[in-house]
Parts: sequence; structure tokens; C-alpha cells
Amino acid sequence: MKRIAFVLSRLLQTVLVLLLVATMLFLIFRLMPGNPLVAYLDPTFTEDMERQLRAQFGLDKPLHVQYALFLRNAVRGEFGNSFFTREPVNEVIWTVLPNTLLLTLSALLLAYAVGIAGGALLAARRGTWIEHWGIPAVLATRAAPEFWVGMLALAIFSFSLQWFPLGGATSPGSVFASNWTRIFSGDFLQHLALPALTLALYLQGLPTLLMRNSMLEVMDEDFITFARMRGLPERTVVLRHAARNALLPVVTAFALGIGYSIGGNVIIETVFSWPGLGRTLVRAVAAKDYPVAQAAFLMIAAVMIFMNFVADLFYSLLDPRVSYERR
Amino acid sequence: MSDAERTLTLPTRWSQAASSWRDALGTLAVVARRDRFALVGIIIYVAFFAIALLSPVLAPYNPQELNYLPGGDVAANLPPSLSHPMGTTNLGRDIFSQLLYGSRAALMVGFVAALGVVILGTLVGLVAGYYGGWVDTVLMRLADVAFGVPFLPMAIVLVAFLGPNIWNVVLVMTLLLWRDTGRIIRAQVLSLRERSYIEAARVLGASHTRTMFVHIAPNVLPLSFLYGSLAIGWAILTEASISFLGFGDPNVISWGFMLQDAYNSQALARQAFHWFVPPGVCIMLAVMAGFFISRGYEELLFPRLRRR
Amino acid sequence: MALLDVERLSVEYQTLQGTVRAVRDVSFSLPPGRALGLVGESGCGKTTLARALIGVLPRNARITEGAVRFEGTDLLRLPADQFNDYRWRRIAMVPQAAMDSLDPVQRVGDQMVETIVLRGNLTRAAAADRARELFAMVGLQPDRLRLYPHELSGGMKQRAVIAMALALRPPLVIADEPVTALDVIVQHQVLQTLRDLREALGVSLLLITHDISVVASLCDDVAVMYAGRIVESGTVRQVFAEPRHPYTMGLRNAFPSLRAEQEHLVPIEGYPPDLAHPPQGCAFTARCPFAIPRCWEEDPVLRAEGDGQEAACHRAHEAPVLRVQAAEAFARLAGDEIRSAPREAC
Repeated sequence: MKRIAFVLSRLLQTVLVLLLVATMLFLIFRLMPGNPLVAYLDPTFTEDMERQLRAQFGLDKPLHVQYALFLRNAVRGEFGNSFFTREPVNEVIWTVLPNTLLLTLSALLLAYAVGIAGGALLAARRGTWIEHWGIPAVLATRAAPEFWVGMLALAIFSFSLQWFPLGGATSPGSVFASNWTRIFSGDFLQHLALPALTLALYLQGLPTLLMRNSMLEVMDEDFITFARMRGLPERTVVLRHAARNALLPVVTAFALGIGYSIGGNVIIETVFSWPGLGRTLVRAVAAKDYPVAQAAFLMIAAVMIFMNFVADLFYSLLDPRVSYERR
Repeated sequence: MSDAERTLTLPTRWSQAASSWRDALGTLAVVARRDRFALVGIIIYVAFFAIALLSPVLAPYNPQELNYLPGGDVAANLPPSLSHPMGTTNLGRDIFSQLLYGSRAALMVGFVAALGVVILGTLVGLVAGYYGGWVDTVLMRLADVAFGVPFLPMAIVLVAFLGPNIWNVVLVMTLLLWRDTGRIIRAQVLSLRERSYIEAARVLGASHTRTMFVHIAPNVLPLSFLYGSLAIGWAILTEASISFLGFGDPNVISWGFMLQDAYNSQALARQAFHWFVPPGVCIMLAVMAGFFISRGYEELLFPRLRRR
Repeated sequence: MALLDVERLSVEYQTLQGTVRAVRDVSFSLPPGRALGLVGESGCGKTTLARALIGVLPRNARITEGAVRFEGTDLLRLPADQFNDYRWRRIAMVPQAAMDSLDPVQRVGDQMVETIVLRGNLTRAAAADRARELFAMVGLQPDRLRLYPHELSGGMKQRAVIAMALALRPPLVIADEPVTALDVIVQHQVLQTLRDLREALGVSLLLITHDISVVASLCDDVAVMYAGRIVESGTVRQVFAEPRHPYTMGLRNAFPSLRAEQEHLVPIEGYPPDLAHPPQGCAFTARCPFAIPRCWEEDPVLRAEGDGQEAACHRAHEAPVLRVQAAEAFARLAGDEIRSAPREAC
């Protein structure tokens, strides 16, 4: 019962935050200076035509009616058509969403695998040259701008060595029977490799440092001393007892990381011309394509807020000690 | 205590408060002395400050100016040489001069945004932690919402609407990054509020504002500085990202702008490493300096980490 | 031959305050089947000594000299992997922090089975049976094996750790403050369990505690530690009936006795010396009501006082007289104030 109440209260909070973020977005798009129809308008339009257009987009109604309409449409997942391509926004979003998710997940998995092992190594080699140079090196990967690392990678591995394609998700002109055959094609993987590696290099810093600190903390715990007294092999002590406990905060960070890196993918997707949610947002904002920009932003926000919720649940599942009371 | 007495004791108490604020600042010197990396961080910032101040003197060219070859052609895409230590852009601008001037934008954005974040975050944390109740609830729900906002996408949307101006970039970062500082400061204030000397101050008739700023604030200041030094780095990175995506101030030369320029001008295909390597290195150094200083602070504030 | 023979063992800590000599020149021996109580205030080095015996010391601690002979083999001279063969198979330990000694994210039974499989070379099924048997032995229902540590009470966790210590039938069990963190009723139950197990299994016991009543109820022999050193040793009967060292006399007056009704409890005033800067002479001098000028100058050695009893005191030969004055003398030192509450030493 307690558990259900916990999940429900967290869920309610999640929906509330999402609603507030959506409201903020609505206000930004409606109250900011500039006519949202700028892109549509043509000097040759008559005033009548413009009024018609405003009516068509519901912009002639009072703000609260517009807001209600906006919420209703958002819940139904209806975002209208793109100002430019006239495609339904939903279609635009659903085409790019898998690309973004694949890029994020593959980079995150790689980053966390490397980070967990690296963090455990840094903890085990405390006080040696590995730690002495390892930590500043990890900090450097977090300090280097992602897009710059991406540029270096492109210049070296794509332009100079020609190991990887220059950008995009598939080679121009290639045709696939379905989205699934596309995703599992060698061509797609080749396109995915460089952006995923660049993203992973950046993302790896957090789990590495987190794992190291967590590991150092756990290694001082009494149950580790007791495991040593029992003469358990060092491998068992470190992996089965220390790492298992040290992983708790790292796993939580992983769930949070899915949310945050989907928001942050904006950069990596732009550098590598990766047809994902972030690049769609950037291009839509730059071109003042409001329906697409709104939908892309809401999608990113929804994934992120939902992942925060999942992280909370994860933590309560993994740690048997967590009680389901409000923190 | 009568009003007259209170006024009489004011000066000494204020000077006490002033000295504790000075102590909080003085910890920076302690941090620098105790931690080699923090010292490196401070040196990096000092160097960038000197470069930013002296860039009109140090820069061989106007960074926006197009340079011409003796024959009258635009000196475009020149490799590094004595007259152009880092070569020129595709429009014939001197990259070295741009790099020097870029430090101005980075430091301005970094420090002003960090100051904004620290002030806003500390104020929110102080007020929420000190007053508690519904004030606390409202402010912390606001922080929840701020955590729910995807940072970079929101920054892009806001800057696109407010206009591509460097101060808008600073404003947006302040509005989005106060959340971490706010939460941490609040937690600290909650624990401080229960201490006896705070109660004593209240009993002696200090006003809420006085208690908050004279008695509590100096105690949370080192923590604010810790988050501030981190925020400098994030702000510089964010400014670079926004500029790179093309939403930056077109009239200000920043390292992010230089990288965008290089990216859009096929510098990668031309293998013009002399163009896009230096700005990235500068951003990295500036951000790392912030990390190093904050680590030094952390070890001073939480010595448990140091022993390990 | 003694089961365990400790010779001139010294352990040092490297701290920010300098080198702390936590265990200084300690020697004792434990014959098979006997129970030896090691008693002293917290910080006197008894836990460090215990952890040195099983070879799991904190990172900043180091054994500087001495020998730990177990069945004649000096463990300290063994290569690491051979020392490890002795751990838990020959010497098991119930650590001081038994409450926090179980891995919080694994079931108690899994931890037990893991130990038995990895160190006892049993199959998983046999290990599971053994675990149930052990739980029954310490008075826990075997189905509790499926629980996580946080689902057990303090007393149950203590019993689980004791069961774990007995898992591989070790000839020697070291128990560090096995009942300190428990409430009084549970203390009695756990002590009773320990006593029954000792009789049933015939294991030798090295019991470490600050509470002399626990030693009195469970041990055959006792060694009193002060400031990293053994100051008096002998059989429980000898030492508690006729203490030769003023510190032992003080301890006897400072704790409520399980057996004899005592009128007053007299605390020992003051604190043990800072072992980073040990004083000259006898370490107890500053707190001793019977100190003479010689005590400030010269550190007494542990000397036989007849019938197997040993004491390290310049005035040990005057013990019968001092014993009579002890309660009053300690009380005078404590400011003429006879308190009725026991001094909590741990």
C-alpha cells in the first residue's frame, strides 16, 4: 500500500511539473514579441486573408481559450502542421524520435559501462599516478565543449582518415524496407558510431566520478571489513559487495541521464547533422516554425520529466532500505 | 532592548558582519594555498582576465576587420604565419586577434551569469529556508519546475525570442541555473536556523532581514561560492553552445562564435586545425579552472573527502 | 601447546596527529577450549589488537613487531594467501560493529551461503542446509535467512553474525563487544547463547569488552588492557577477587556486578593518555590514587605475582592493603563524590 501511495504521489508531482513546463512554453510562444505568423505572412496578403489565417490558428481567441485549446491538443498529441513543409508535426516528431533515442541510449550505455569500470578503478588505485592524472583527465572531458570534440572527431576521423561518414543517419539515396531494417543496417551503425562515441566521451565523466566517490565511501563501511575478515576473495569483496552497493547512486544517475542527455543532444545532433529531436528543435526555432518547435520542446521535456520519475522508482526498487515516505 | 540601545550596538555588529563576509571571501586564499589544482584554476582565470583587459593592446588586428594581401586580394584561409600566428578565417579575419577578444565575452558571460546565479540562488535558498511554510513550498516547487525544464532547449527558445543579445544569454542562464544553488543553500539554512546564536539574535530583537543577511548569510556564503565557481564554467560552456547553434550575439566575438564560423565555413573539410583547435582549448581551460576551484572549495568545506 | 600465542605485538596508526602506538608490546596465550576476556576502556587498543589477530586492520594501521602464533604457526610471517586460509576456517570474528557488518542489499542467507561455499568448499545446497542449522543453533528461525539485514532487529543481527562466525567450525572465535549495542534483556539472551555454544562446540573464545561483568559471566581467564598494554592478567577468579593493579581495582568498583550486590559505583576519574604522545613512566599514573614518585619515572613491566597471575605495577606487592583502600581512594580522586551511575566507558 505504502508503495502504491508513493508511486501515485510521485506520478502526480510529475504530471504537475509537466503541466507547468507546458504552460511556460505556451506563454513564451504567445506573449513574446513578434508575430507568430511571420513565417506565413506575405506582403501580398490582404488584411482579410491575415485575419482568416489568425482564425485558422485560433489566434483571434482570448488567451485563456487559446490556452485551453493548447492543452487539449497537447494531451491529444495534435500539434497541427509545420509552417514550412506543411507536414503534420506528429509525423515529423515520430520520424526523428527513434534516432534520438537510439543515439542517447547507445551513448549512455557505453558511457556508463566505461564510467563504472573506470570509477571503480580510480577508487581501487587511490593515491597512485592513475588517480593523480585520471581525475583531471575526466574533468577535462566534462569541460571540453561537446560540439568542439565532435568537430575534432569529424575533422580527423571523417574528413582526414575517412573512417566514418560526414554526418546524417543514413547514406543519401539508400532505401530501406522498414524503420527496423534501417536501424539494424551496417550503414546506420556506421553513421551512429562517431556521434555516439563523442556523446559517450562527454557523458562518461559523471558516472566515473560518481562511481569513484561512491566506491570509496562504501569501501570504508563495516560490512566490507567484515567480508575481508571472512577471507572472501578480493574480487568477491570488491565486485559483489562494494560495487553492488556503490552502484545505487550511479544507476539512479543513469535514469536521470537519459532525460538530461535527450535535452542536451541538441548540440551533438547539430554537429553531426543527426536527424533527431534536438536538431529538429534547433532548426524549427531558427526558422520560427512554431508548431514543430513547440512539439519538439514538449517531447524533450516530457521524456526528461518522465525519466526523473523513473529514476525515483528505480532507486526505491534497488535499495531495499528505502521507505516509501515522502522525503 | 530599547531602540536607542539597538542603534548604539549597530555599528559594532555591522562591522562584525562585514568581517565575516570578508572571511568568507578570504577562504579563496586558503583554498589556493591548500590545493594545487585550485591554484592552477585561479592562475588560469587571472591569465584570462589579463588577456581580456589587454586584448586591444595584444591583438595585432581588429578581430572583425577583413585583411588584404599586398596584391589586393582578401587574405582568406591563410595558414599560421608570423603576421597571422593562427592564420585567417575564410573572410580574411585574424584568428589570433579573435581568440584574444573572445576571452572578453567568455569572462563577462561566465562571471556575470555566475554572479546572477549565486545571488538569485542564495536569495531563494535563504528566504525559503528561513521563512519555511508556504514560502518554502512555493519556492521549492518552482525549483522542481526549473529542474524539469530541459536546460539547453529552453535556453535556445528563450534567446531566440528575447533576441540574440549577450545580456539575454546571461539573463536566461541566471533564470535557469539558480535551482541547484537554491536547493543546497536552503538545506544549509534549515540546519543553521536551529542553532542557538541565530535564536539569540532573534530574541535580541534583530529583524528578519538582519538575521538573514548578517547572521545566516555569511555562513552559507562559502557554499554559494562553491556553486558559483561551478556556474562560471557552465555559463561559459552554455554561451559557447548557444553561439555555436547560431543563437548568439552576432556583434560579439566569442569562442563559441569562432567555432560556429569555422564549422559553417568548411574549416573541417579544409583541415584548418589552427582555426578550430585554439577556441576549444580556451573554453576547456576556462571551464576546467572553474571545476578546479570548486573542488578546492569542496575539500575545504567537506574535509572528509580530502582524507580519502 | 597453546592454541593462540601472541608475543610482543605492537600496532601503530599513522594519523594527522602523528604516530599513535595503539597496541604496545602485548603478549598473552590462549589454551585450547578456554575463554579469555580482554577488558579495558574504549581506546585502549583492544579492538585494534583483535583486528591485528585476524589480519584485517584499517588502512593507516601497521603491525610494527611481534608474532601471532596460531597452533605454532606465526601468521604474521605467512604469505598473504596462506594467512587467508586461516581466516574464518581457523579464526572467526564477531566484529564490534556487528549491526552494520551485513551487506545491506543482500539477503542474510545469501551472505551466509556465499561464505560457506567460497570458504568451506561446500555445494550451494549443502551450504543452505548448514545455514539453516546454524540459524537454529543461535536461536533464530531458519526462515529468517530470507530477510534483508534491515528487516532484522539488533539482537537478531548479532545472532546472525555469531552464526556466521561458527559457519566453518573454527577452533577460535574472537568476539568484539558482542553485546554492547543491545538492550539489557537481549544482552542476557545473547550471552546465554554464547555460553551454550561454547559448551556445546568447545570453541576457544577471545572476548573483548569494556564490561567486566560480561567477562565474569563468560570467561575463564582475563587480561586487563590499559593504554595499549596488558597491565594485569590471570584467571577470572584470581583477578577479580584479588586484583593486583590499581586500574583493575578501579574497574571492579566502576561497574555494576552481575553477581555481587555492590553498594556504590566509583568511577575512575580522568581519561586515558594520548597515545600519540605517551607519558613517561606508568601510563596510569595520572589517574592512580596510589601513585608514588617512581611511577612518574619508570614504566613497570608485567611480572608474575604467583599462581599464574601477572601485574605491571610498582606497588603490586602491597596489593592486599591497597585493595581495601581502593574504593575510598578512587572516590577521593573523583572529588569525594560517590556516584551511583556506572561510568559508560564505551
